[in-house]
Amino acid sequence: MLAGLLPAWAAVSLVWAAPDSLYYEARPAMGTTVEVYLYAAGAGRAEALFEAAFDEVERIEAAFSTYRPTSELSRINTYADATPVTTDPEVFALIDHALAYSRSTDGAFDITVGRLMKAWGFFRGQGRYPSREELLEARKKTGWAYVTLDSTARTVRFGKMGLQLDVGAIGKGYAIDQVARLLRAQGVEAALIGTGQSSYYAVGAPPGEAGWPVRVPAPFDHAQTLSTVYLRDAALSTSGNYEKFFELEGKQYCHIMDPRTGRPVEGMVQVTVIAPNAADSDALATSVFVLGIDAGATLLDEQAGTAALLVTGPKAQARVVSLGWPEEIAEGIQ
Amino acid sequence: MKRRDFIKAATAGAAGVGASMIGLEAVAQTLEPRVVAPSDEIVVGVIGPGSRGQSLMRRMLRVPGVRIGALCDVYAPRLTEGREITGEDTPVFDDYRRMLDEAADLDAVLVATPPGLHAAHMTASLDRGLHVYGEKIMGFTLDDCDAIVAAAQWSGKWFQIGHQYRYAPWYREALERIKEGEIGTVTHIFGYWHRNYNWRRPLPDPTLERFINWRLYRDTSAGLLAELGSHHIDIANWVFDEIPESVMGSGSVMFYQDGRNVNDNVQAIFKYPGGGTFVFSSLIGNHLVGYQINIYGTGGTVALTLQDGAFYYEPARANSAVPEELMERGVNTSASLSTEGDMPYRGPGLDIQTSEADADPNLLAVASFFDSIRENKRPYADEIIGWNSAVPVALGNMAIRSTSHVPFADHVSAPRVNVGRGE
Repeated sequence: MLAGLLPAWAAVSLVWAAPDSLYYEARPAMGTTVEVYLYAAGAGRAEALFEAAFDEVERIEAAFSTYRPTSELSRINTYADATPVTTDPEVFALIDHALAYSRSTDGAFDITVGRLMKAWGFFRGQGRYPSREELLEARKKTGWAYVTLDSTARTVRFGKMGLQLDVGAIGKGYAIDQVARLLRAQGVEAALIGTGQSSYYAVGAPPGEAGWPVRVPAPFDHAQTLSTVYLRDAALSTSGNYEKFFELEGKQYCHIMDPRTGRPVEGMVQVTVIAPNAADSDALATSVFVLGIDAGATLLDEQAGTAALLVTGPKAQARVVSLGWPEEIAEGIQ
Repeated sequence: MKRRDFIKAATAGAAGVGASMIGLEAVAQTLEPRVVAPSDEIVVGVIGPGSRGQSLMRRMLRVPGVRIGALCDVYAPRLTEGREITGEDTPVFDDYRRMLDEAADLDAVLVATPPGLHAAHMTASLDRGLHVYGEKIMGFTLDDCDAIVAAAQWSGKWFQIGHQYRYAPWYREALERIKEGEIGTVTHIFGYWHRNYNWRRPLPDPTLERFINWRLYRDTSAGLLAELGSHHIDIANWVFDEIPESVMGSGSVMFYQDGRNVNDNVQAIFKYPGGGTFVFSSLIGNHLVGYQINIYGTGGTVALTLQDGAFYYEPARANSAVPEELMERGVNTSASLSTEGDMPYRGPGLDIQTSEADADPNLLAVASFFDSIRENKRPYADEIIGWNSAVPVALGNMAIRSTSHVPFADHVSAPRVNVGRGE
């Protein structure tokens, strides 16, 4: 969780005068905290909207969580190495979308990376250095290219044993997008939906404002602000190497894997991406974190409406890189 | 099929219901190859693709060889949402009669409309010669329940009621062991479904209140006893192997004085002919106990939830294994009164373990429905199971509203006591 990525307006929300009032609810979901801010005419309407919003999050979590044995993704993981598994269009489409990222990033984004995460101790843990055998075994069971989709039959099939899909790097963003859609369909004109402060989607803007202010913290001192984004009908996601990591012999190993090497990414500290929707900002933040500056820039060039703010390390030589970043960037901040 | 056979089939993933219940095509192909020809595609029409209908549609589309071929709703946004789920330009209708007339390729219909409309939608679908997966409660009134049973039996088509917990592996395992006597004689069942949520859906337009929030008004809703309690009643029927003979109840609008006339808390006590009692409570202003069914027997308890279950055993009585040294050391005396014996048990139970504990009951239920169609086999949760829970709901609501004791014999002439429980 990114402790530093906070809505900057939270403390000043009472200043806004508007016919609707601002309401807020946060609930634990998807292994993090999902928060929803919205403008509504009265607490009764807000309550009904929150209930519908969190029902939608629960629906998506019930389909995609690999922590739940009853989820549709768990069913696919159980059976797809033996036979093609038919699934519904929504689940199929998200897997398809994730695999498209794998193709366009040459495997830097990979939803089969779960085994590697486990080998490095980042599944429900803080990380550890794996043995050579563990790593070898995990790499044997990894590889997006071994996932075959048949769009006519709507089936998922694994081409090697032990493969496991985990859509964590795109699914939370997808859930945010779906909540935004639902709120819009209910006539909500201004809302901000977030997961664990790592991804936000903004529906419209607070009355009289340009957008929902979201502060991107300086990675080495979260009290400082690197940039403030005024988000409107767009999404923002941040990946950071400080979310989960361990240190060994003076070296830091973060939880973001480079599936191509089977090792944690080195040299990148924080990547924040703006995109038209949160599934994409979520997937792009991870992709750019793994790809680095040049390949990351190429990837973003291919997608309209995207921009990124990168901080590379190590701390002593920290460098802030803008890839079309639309807002002001504080100087001399680390 | 005997229950034991059903469980075995489900556990082995072998023929019949079990094959497609568990792993769907995966298990079917690994254990019993079955080629589904294109002609075996089952096309489903949906009447009422609202929130529950959508949830079932997604499950249906996870079953190989199933296509949603038509959508019907009088509220246009639901048709758009339904098409997003099918991923196709599925034909849409705003009148179920037109859908039944014009969608020529349908094999089955999913009815997920408000319960007051069930009889019209279900009987018309059956009369048209289509199999029906009907959401609970089966019928809104006693006459509705009878009409649906008659239509199902007259049509020669299969009817399955949306009591998906009949298909939940941990429920089936629990019931099997209860029937074998593991907790002695079951005397009482206490069922809770408590939530902290006002049951109110958001409205894109205030004029849609009655339309969207139909659950809150008596002319369209049978309330908590139906929407939540009917699942528990079905389980109680299953455990006691009969249906209630009387009911008393109470309820009120306590938490949400917002114009609704459906109670936001209900309590009902159902007496069964064999002496068993089922006590149900639902309130939607406090979440503490959540969903629970506690099945109390003379030798132990089974506690079931929406995700799992556990067995607990009563302590042995009249224990003759007294240590011999007792006579030498004697017993202790003390002035203190121990409250320990009356404290609730807070230790662990013996968790129910099933080989397919990871299965989603809703998926199992719809997959079994399609098996019934393909293999011409009576659904496990058929129209009789539906009648057996819907009638107690109707009479339970009568008891709650009249604050009286309602004997079933005064209102129903032919309770289906001995048939249709999958025995």
